[in-house]
Amino acid sequence: MSAPRLGKPGQDRVYAPDFLTELFRNPLDPGYADAAAARRGSADSGAARGWRAWPTRSVSLVVVVMLGFLFAVAYRQTMADEPGRSQARSGLVAQIKERESQTDRLSTRADQLREEVSRQRDAALSGSAAARLRNLEASTGLGRVRGDGVVVRLADAPDKADAVTGAGAGPPRVLYSDLQGVANALWSAGAEAIAINGQRLTSTSTIRSAGEAMLVDFRPVTGPYEVSAIGPDSMRRKFEDSRNAALMRKVAQGTGLSFGVRESDDLTLPAAPEPQLRYAKPSVSPSPSASGVRSGSPGSSGPATTVSPSGGGR
Amino acid sequence: MIAVLALLAGVVLGVWLDPTVPAALQPYLPIAVVAALDAVFGGVRARLDRIFDDKQFVVSFISNVLVAGLIVYLGDQLGVGGQLSTGVVVVLGVRIFGNVAAIRRHLFRA
Repeated sequence: MSAPRLGKPGQDRVYAPDFLTELFRNPLDPGYADAAAARRGSADSGAARGWRAWPTRSVSLVVVVMLGFLFAVAYRQTMADEPGRSQARSGLVAQIKERESQTDRLSTRADQLREEVSRQRDAALSGSAAARLRNLEASTGLGRVRGDGVVVRLADAPDKADAVTGAGAGPPRVLYSDLQGVANALWSAGAEAIAINGQRLTSTSTIRSAGEAMLVDFRPVTGPYEVSAIGPDSMRRKFEDSRNAALMRKVAQGTGLSFGVRESDDLTLPAAPEPQLRYAKPSVSPSPSASGVRSGSPGSSGPATTVSPSGGGR
Repeated sequence: MIAVLALLAGVVLGVWLDPTVPAALQPYLPIAVVAALDAVFGGVRARLDRIFDDKQFVVSFISNVLVAGLIVYLGDQLGVGGQLSTGVVVVLGVRIFGNVAAIRRHLFRA
């Protein structure tokens, strides 16, 4: 069965430069042909050969036993691995679910406790101090706020590939930079509080993307995205006139994203979770900077205790 | 015939003893099985070609398994374990296919 172009039997074989062709043409180990040729060449009698062959024959039987052993072991191993793998998977899923519900529970408890803290504080503090604190909290995003404003709604394009630009790359999606732009345009249009899908933006908030997911303050948000902002009555007009809104309208026209602005009365924006400041220490200098005064602008006159908002009341 | 009995004996032994494979060797088990299959089909084809040789069979089995394991081990150390084991599987798969095709020709004349 040796290939016809191979040289004389027993001759040293050199691998052809195109190993793959050789592999496809002649899949059998060349050693078999060599051994057969050697056997044919040596003029041994069949009987003597048979006797002498016994040790090697038994060795090959042992090898066959080993083979069966190997197959059985591999089969059992694979079968044993399989439930383990799916178990690990479902275990992880269950853990994730459990942790999620735990997080939800804890954050609702944190909200309750925060409410209670502010209630107690209101009771403990004198009226004007408590009011100033509440104002500070509201303006920094640590307190819940209510008011009239606008809601900007952004949504991914519907999942069909007819959009000109997104023909090959799936449906066009809202990018984190879109959300950033909208939030920035709203700030510059006079917004005093902004929340994205119920995530209040604070001075340390981030809007970024990690893979496919959009993270606002490291919490994932999914589309459709609703950016709610509380601000003056002129905010809607200013926002609509902003370059960013024009850009988004154009993008929406071109790609099929949906982009809408509507006014909404009596919005309630939730409080942001307390920022965990680990490196920035509140400085209690007697003459705080101008920015400290500005951040406490609604109703605050005494800049002596601008400490509390960033320190989280601790 | 004896070979088939020996194979069955090996399977029974494996099921009966139910050895636990050391964790370090577990990644190499599938590749060892593929290499062993290559040796087996090579041997069957050689027997049908009437050029079977015990020594060649034993040596090809052991060296196939060892070399395949070694290549994958080396790949793991170099960080290309997946690709190298793919390469090993392709080469051995091609050989198995070729040999099985030859066996088929022998058995069915087709």
